[in-house]
Amino acid sequence: MSKRLEIRKVLIIGSGPIVIGQACEFDYSGTQACKALMNEGLEVILVNSNPATIMTDPEVATRVYVEPLKANYLEKIIAEERPDSLIPTLGGQTALNLALELHDSGVLAKYNVRLLGADPKVIRAAEDREVFRGILDKVGAKYPRSEMVRTFEQGMQVAQNLGYPLILRPNFTLGGGGGGIAYSPLEYQRMITQALFESPTSEVLVEESILGWKEFELEVMRDRLGTFVVVCNIENFDACGVHTGDSITVAPQQTLTDREYQAMRDEACKILNEVGVETGGANIQFATHPRTGERVVIEMNPRVSRSSALASKATGFPIAKIAALLAIGYTLDEIQNDITKVTPSCYEPALDYVVTKIPRFAFEKFPGAKDILTTQMKSVGEVMGVGRTFQESFMKAVVSLENHAEGFPSIPLDADKLAVPNSQRFYQIYQALREGRTVAEISEITRVDPWFLEQLQQLTEFEKVLSAQELAPDLLLAAKRKGMSDALIGRLKDRTSEEILSLREKHKIFPCFQQIDTCAGEFASSTPYFYSSYWFQQSVDLPFKSPIVVIGSGPNRIGQGIEFDYSCVRGVKALRRHNEQVVMVNSNPETVSTDYDTANILFFEPLTFENLREIFRWIQPKGFMAQLGGQTPINLAPALVRAGTPLLGSSLEAIDLAEDRGRFSEICRELKFHIPKSFMASGLDVALAQIEQVGFPVICRPSYVLGGRRMEVVENESELRSYFQRHQAFISTEAPCLIDQFLEGALEVDVDLVRGRDWMIVGGVVEHIEAAGVHSGDSMGVLPPQRLKKETCQKIEELSMQLADRMKIIGHLNLQLAVKNDQVFILEANPRSSRSVPFVVKAAGVPLIDLGVAAVLGKSRSDLKLQDYDWHKTDSVSVKGVVFPFRKFSEADSLLGPEMKSTGESMGRGKSFGEAMKKAFLSSHIKLPKSGEVFFSLREKDKTSMLEVARELKRMGYTISATRGTAEHFTRHGIETLALRKVHEGRPNCVDRIRSGEIAFVINTTRGRTSIEASFDIRRACIDLGIPCITENDAVNAFLIALKSAQAEQLNVGYLPQVSLP
Amino acid sequence: MVKKGFLVLETGETYEGRWMVPAEIKFERAGEVVFNTSHQGFEEIATDPSYFSQIVVMTAPMQGNYGAHSEVWESRKIWIEGFIALQIQNTPREQTWLQTLVKAGVPTVSEMDTRAVALRLRSGGTPWGALVFAEDSAQAKVKAEKLITDKKKIENDWVHLASRQQVETFPGENPQGPRIAVLDFGAKENILRELKKRARELRVFPSRTPAHEIQAYEPDGLMLTNGPGDPTQVQVAPQTVQQFIGKIPIYGICMGHQVLALALGAQTFKLKFGHRGANHPIKDRLLERIYMTSQNHGYAVKGETLPKDAQVTQVNLNDHTVAGFYSEKNSYLGIQYHPESHPGPHEATELFDFFVQKMMGVRQ
Repeated sequence: MSKRLEIRKVLIIGSGPIVIGQACEFDYSGTQACKALMNEGLEVILVNSNPATIMTDPEVATRVYVEPLKANYLEKIIAEERPDSLIPTLGGQTALNLALELHDSGVLAKYNVRLLGADPKVIRAAEDREVFRGILDKVGAKYPRSEMVRTFEQGMQVAQNLGYPLILRPNFTLGGGGGGIAYSPLEYQRMITQALFESPTSEVLVEESILGWKEFELEVMRDRLGTFVVVCNIENFDACGVHTGDSITVAPQQTLTDREYQAMRDEACKILNEVGVETGGANIQFATHPRTGERVVIEMNPRVSRSSALASKATGFPIAKIAALLAIGYTLDEIQNDITKVTPSCYEPALDYVVTKIPRFAFEKFPGAKDILTTQMKSVGEVMGVGRTFQESFMKAVVSLENHAEGFPSIPLDADKLAVPNSQRFYQIYQALREGRTVAEISEITRVDPWFLEQLQQLTEFEKVLSAQELAPDLLLAAKRKGMSDALIGRLKDRTSEEILSLREKHKIFPCFQQIDTCAGEFASSTPYFYSSYWFQQSVDLPFKSPIVVIGSGPNRIGQGIEFDYSCVRGVKALRRHNEQVVMVNSNPETVSTDYDTANILFFEPLTFENLREIFRWIQPKGFMAQLGGQTPINLAPALVRAGTPLLGSSLEAIDLAEDRGRFSEICRELKFHIPKSFMASGLDVALAQIEQVGFPVICRPSYVLGGRRMEVVENESELRSYFQRHQAFISTEAPCLIDQFLEGALEVDVDLVRGRDWMIVGGVVEHIEAAGVHSGDSMGVLPPQRLKKETCQKIEELSMQLADRMKIIGHLNLQLAVKNDQVFILEANPRSSRSVPFVVKAAGVPLIDLGVAAVLGKSRSDLKLQDYDWHKTDSVSVKGVVFPFRKFSEADSLLGPEMKSTGESMGRGKSFGEAMKKAFLSSHIKLPKSGEVFFSLREKDKTSMLEVARELKRMGYTISATRGTAEHFTRHGIETLALRKVHEGRPNCVDRIRSGEIAFVINTTRGRTSIEASFDIRRACIDLGIPCITENDAVNAFLIALKSAQAEQLNVGYLPQVSLP
Repeated sequence: MVKKGFLVLETGETYEGRWMVPAEIKFERAGEVVFNTSHQGFEEIATDPSYFSQIVVMTAPMQGNYGAHSEVWESRKIWIEGFIALQIQNTPREQTWLQTLVKAGVPTVSEMDTRAVALRLRSGGTPWGALVFAEDSAQAKVKAEKLITDKKKIENDWVHLASRQQVETFPGENPQGPRIAVLDFGAKENILRELKKRARELRVFPSRTPAHEIQAYEPDGLMLTNGPGDPTQVQVAPQTVQQFIGKIPIYGICMGHQVLALALGAQTFKLKFGHRGANHPIKDRLLERIYMTSQNHGYAVKGETLPKDAQVTQVNLNDHTVAGFYSEKNSYLGIQYHPESHPGPHEATELFDFFVQKMMGVRQ
């Protein structure tokens, strides 16, 4: 074996909070790599600021640091830990950039830390587009004509040389950040300014357009002896012009001949060698001209990536694990193929199935944001569908999106939506084919390869046959083989999906389960990694009887993300520790839960009743867990129970008590808890008639919402009218609008607890920084609470436990409460693990998920050492920070409200609240300027309360500016303030001053639609320039505390303590 | 009316699918049933003479996607006795793979459980079988039995059947290059293409050509090509090759490699289900490199039976069978897989350069 013995202690940098373009795929990669390195007996030091990851669980590495991913913090960790090596290729662009920074500043040399996997030369070669083009020239590869732009003026000249449309690619940004396509000089001028700003090196590659070319991606690996393998080749359904993260992609590639493909493979190998990647994984993107076959290179990344995670799931080849082993000196032939256990890892997986990945978007969360896809990534999650044929995999992927049970419902055709790439386009393509538009026509408009369109056309043609003919068993089987859901078949046949299911049962038309085995059956494989297919018989036996199923959380979306995968994975591990056989079902390829060795059996399947029912039919589980995967499994639970599988933990009744607003209010009244006054309104007239009993302000929301969708604070009658008018499609007698009293200014808290049959434990109480009105997922939080009185906190815990008892919870309960004038109100109960659980687990050291599993398995108090867990004993302070994607949606407002908009969270740990707060801001990529000008734009009622803040800032050495009214008020009270014009008062105004970079940060409070619109430009300018903009009163105080801590310049780091498990 | 197609194995198993070609008796054929795990390259595979007398099951489900292009053919005709895949592209295009198969009279079946067939071949070896259309499996079995019995009567020396029967001479593209004699065991076109690029002239001889006829050409080196079947059934060629050992450089690929081994007095054996695909890892012990290779063979050389001067230089990393041997002293090289690729990775193409350099050395 050629493991390098001098490597003993390895530092791994994670990718930080989830943002668009860098999501939980890096938790998957990092966790896998840590595990592999720990198995090798190495010490592994992990740094990541994201608490919602499995990789930051204390037992994943030797020591886990939840600290800001900033060079100075890393230096401190390096100084304390003295690792001999650093693997920078596992934490996305964040880790690569940091490693480069640590190298350039001499930190790595100072502490004798080697870079493994990619050295600075490699990172530069792949990231610096000019260097990269030099390499392409050397190996004779072609690339689109382009020029590096460093100034606006030069940019304009370059545009003239290359002609429109133009593609902008800023250097060193992730997910194509700041890039895009400019069709006209006007667009270009705006975009080049932004792109120059986004690039940390102020360099933007401006490229001639290859819009409409076919796009491919090769996932490759190389070891130190030069062995080169292509793990997976991926073809994009969408033509060039759409970021590959936003494209529908298919593996293996479908439309290249062997000669074309092998030439691409050869070129990839040459590029990798020339770039100098010594060991590890990389991806290389190519484009080919649809007619001439001319090939160009788009880019390469010398690290694991979103697509390498997809490739791993698509093929069974664990890229991150192998990259880690290669980095410490192994060669590919020395590493066994985990799946077959008989062949080595130097091979290229052979697939006897097809996978389709479809991204999931969140445009609806950002009013004003245009649903148009470009070279800048905008999707927040993705699903993967596996089938024997492209059609089956595609249809399964569409259903996995959880948008619609039918997959393709009948929709009105919209020519505009067909013409421009957008999140809904594939629905439009399908509908157009249904309505008889030809493949040639659609291919001309969309540039999607005719092969894909032909496949879809066969589906729509088949729909016609299905509609016309009697539903004989053969026809039904044929429909299922095309991947059509029972719901879709039902609609086409004017029947319910239940009727289709009974028809299938009558004729015994069931899917069988096939293995993903890396080798198309060439070698025997015992790894139970399955997908369903209606093509033919079972080729494998069930490995064991009576497992427990954990239902995952499906595609990441705003409101249901990595936190729930954390719960699932933790839950699976806990179940396995109790010697249960565990089955994981999920459709999200980015996750740790879909790693083939997380559970005993993995099913890569859509999370629908139909698909789960079929899995259950085969494996006959003793029960399923719906508490871990967020709202998706909770919604599925009733139907699955009705179909005969026991739900483990809290019963359907408990779920219903929590979910049904009416019943929930009833038990709260019964227990004499305060709840906000509320009523339900099926329409505006009811709302207007009853509003008086609650009184403004109120908070309105339609029934059945996730992540606060369409939830708004309504201040007066005209806003109420406007609300009902805008959301009328979602309000009806069946789904009435819930109107709650809005507890203005109340302090909100989250409680996560676990109840067993004779025991209960509160994991922690998280106090929100922002007052009621901001979605709990979007507000910062702190544990232990800093403002809550001790007796109130105690009362909160007592109430929570009473409620859990009353609801007969077994397992998890998450509660949201509000405190106003020392009165505790119960807002909401979720009978499941929650978004806040991973943070609470790490902040309080209480292994809530493991305890939840113990509760579900019926463990009693005497089985557990509950006295080990007491969140009150926590001696550090932890603050949860949040990260927003506003930068990606240039027309969206950054104001917070009851609808969740954040994509990720960070955690700051410290000895004091200030230190934790500082770290949380830093980890959320919010700057803490130590000096400069602070600009205030305030609503009337805050002008007085902000006086003290302004005075404090002055004392801290900042200068103050404000809009005229505020400035006069401040000056009157003895605070020297520079008055700036509002936007509509002429120029230069406050926005000009922000955009010229003269403002350090902004405090902007606002209320009411008109003033929100008036101050939009202020917030937008802050986002575009990365200037902190604080929009909530309570957040201002928190920011001040963080600033003070930052000014103190003290820098402490600490690792998470190990926690004993129940 | 959709016709049912059946794959019937001589061991009794039947697999049902959809008959994709006209329901005519001339489309019913028998052959050895083998599976291939390549994702693409169906045309190169079907025209590779090494697939002589074989029914090919593609494990990759989507075949025919990119149409048909006769310029990639690996010989002048389609050799396979049947083509099976889960799905075969069949939409109106200028030239489709299905049309090509129909024209060549090759039985073609889709919608068959190819994974089940592959697993059967993996665990039970590669039997004879037949592709027929029928109402049900009972009828299919009757039809198949006769076809298989008849097919088994064919000449055992498959190499002879796949080889050219006439000598052919081709000009090379390198005037400074060697003259190469090629003993055709069912040569893939790309072996000849690779040689032409490097040689002054090629002369291709039928497989049963006696040594003196080749000697008369005074070649600088001898190329033994790929070809179908059992190497121990190949007539004349082992004796012919023997005459050249130690005299001029010899390079054998696949069947050529096996015949070279036999000529050296070594033995071959039948693999359980063979190696057919484009992802087989090979370790080259001389250059300390690992190649991804294209493979298609049902037999292998017993390494321990090779003479002392032959060094096993390349090993298949999946099952550790001999993938190549080399003698510095006697200047011969045997390679079990396909350095000429088509289909498959190109990584081992350099072996042609190595061979040519050897010949140039001998000439000087």
